[in-house]
Amino acid sequence: MKSTQYSEKVLDHFRKPRNVGTLEGEDVAVGRVGNPVCGDIMEIYIRVKDDKILDMKFKTFGCGSAIATASMITELAMGKTLEQAMNITRNDVANELNGLPPVKMHCSNLAADALKDAIKNYKSMKKNETGVTQKIEQGIKKLIGEDNFLDKGVFYKIDGYPSFKDKRTIIVDNGDKTAEAAIEISKYTPRVVLVTQLKDLPVKSDLKIKLNKTDVKVLYESKIIEIKGFNTVEKVSIHDLNEDEKYELFVDAILIL
Amino acid sequence: MSIYLDYQSAKPLDPRVITAMKPYFYDKFGNPSSLHKVGDNATNVLNDARLAIANFIAAEKNEIIFTSGATESNNLALIGFALRNKNKGNHIIISEIEHISIHNIAKFLTKNGFTISKVPVDQFGKVSIEKIKERINDKTILISIGYANNEIGTIQPIGEIGELCRNKKIAFHSDAVPAEGLLPLDVNKDNLDLLTLSSNDIYGPKGIGALYMRKGIKLNPLIIGGGQEHGLRSGSENIPGIVGMAKAAEIMKIEMTAEAERLSNYRDRLIKEILTNIPKSYLNGHPSRRLPNNAHFRFSGIEGESLLLSLKDKGIAISTGSACSSKTLEPSHTLIATGLLHEEAHGSLQITCGRFTTEKDIDTFLNVIPGVVNKLRKLSPLYKEE
Repeated sequence: MKSTQYSEKVLDHFRKPRNVGTLEGEDVAVGRVGNPVCGDIMEIYIRVKDDKILDMKFKTFGCGSAIATASMITELAMGKTLEQAMNITRNDVANELNGLPPVKMHCSNLAADALKDAIKNYKSMKKNETGVTQKIEQGIKKLIGEDNFLDKGVFYKIDGYPSFKDKRTIIVDNGDKTAEAAIEISKYTPRVVLVTQLKDLPVKSDLKIKLNKTDVKVLYESKIIEIKGFNTVEKVSIHDLNEDEKYELFVDAILIL
Repeated sequence: MSIYLDYQSAKPLDPRVITAMKPYFYDKFGNPSSLHKVGDNATNVLNDARLAIANFIAAEKNEIIFTSGATESNNLALIGFALRNKNKGNHIIISEIEHISIHNIAKFLTKNGFTISKVPVDQFGKVSIEKIKERINDKTILISIGYANNEIGTIQPIGEIGELCRNKKIAFHSDAVPAEGLLPLDVNKDNLDLLTLSSNDIYGPKGIGALYMRKGIKLNPLIIGGGQEHGLRSGSENIPGIVGMAKAAEIMKIEMTAEAERLSNYRDRLIKEILTNIPKSYLNGHPSRRLPNNAHFRFSGIEGESLLLSLKDKGIAISTGSACSSKTLEPSHTLIATGLLHEEAHGSLQITCGRFTTEKDIDTFLNVIPGVVNKLRKLSPLYKEE
């Protein structure tokens, strides 16, 4: 079976997705799930009153089945109590859609997980929990391979921004100065990645606005674990801390300030 | 409405090729190995076809081996060469962005005692000569680099790599399939020792291909039998297929220059208009060193399979580098090697034009694409309008 061989019901939800959008307010919680390797990212918003889901919206980056499952679950869970909604499984969603291609059952069937995440967030919000404090390893520890490639792709200082011309550059977040460097370097190369272990960049708001206007890619809750290459830097291994996934990114330069 | 913009995946036969093939299914069905007249006719046909393929790449007639297609040619070139020449060394260099057949052949060779080095590419998909040089050692027997990339269309510096290989006395193989019929191929100018050719990629039938093998290069056969094709590829010859491939090559030799120019006009228009009219759209591959038929994009915040499905609803056939539409759910290894993140590789769209593409197809596509992108972006948590 081809991975894109979808039932008519999946295609209907894909073509006319129900309840697209976001919600705002004190009674709103959001659930986010995503798998950076497989590529689907989903946000489910719920508005809750008297333990019931009053309204629900979603946004999805993903394939046909990712969009259809998110759309489907808004129909399934709307009006349900939180307990009923919590019991909706991936299989329930797939069955309501008259099945999914087997290969998509795991990867692109995240809607139930996103809803559970939203409900969990709603409950902890009510309990006034602040969530888990983030653990950040301090930057004194060197990266694996860092010493081997010093000045062969690993840079501790900027020898003029034009020296990064056309280099795929990854910058290890260290607040305002690295954000500024990212903005400047992006004028010389189309590929600049800023990697931070935090959920949000620890930089001034005007820098964030500036950064958003560039093509700089920010990788949140991620860290470089290893630098690889032959004589010069060729790629890095990145650990996505949130999803606990590891993957490789091809780069020419690493800037550690 | 039906618009086909996926010529890299498959091409229709040219009607002139079908006409040329027809007699060889019934009237002229002979086997070249037979000694009677019916067999002699087949021998002549086979010789003529071999000459047509040789002329297509500026080679000699007896340097052409017919195979069942490009995948078999790649197998024979790499595995056949490795097995025959293992006394000279066990190291082979390929690039990170080779066709999947080369990558899987490399995996097979690794399990069988060979060492494979993969050369990285730059952000435009171009292999660096310096990085090849770094990897060459005294055990290196073969370098295999595709003539141009089958996904993003980047053309490799084949002449320079050929010269390097000749100087270092290392055999040089190239899978020319994506470039076939779009760029002039000359095995002597580029110092090629082995070259993979496909028939379908020049509008000939599927199930037939060829391997160019320079005089003096030694290979082990992979298919053993009655000793056809200089003993390198046994099995009764697929005469209708061979005739079709030869006819396709003859037509291509005459029409290629004009065809490539027409296609590159479409390509340039696609690139210019999409990058201008769709915000946060990017070109994958090289801005100038790219195949005349290839335009490859990514759109921030959009996943490729949903783009493909939306275009399918509008009658447009197209490819994506998205994992979600592949068997393995892995994103395109080529896009990853150019430095893209997974989410970006997932959002890519590959447009390949061909002989039967019309200006009107391009008009329609360009009219449809902004709306489709816009609709999907409204669903996306990754795209924020400015």
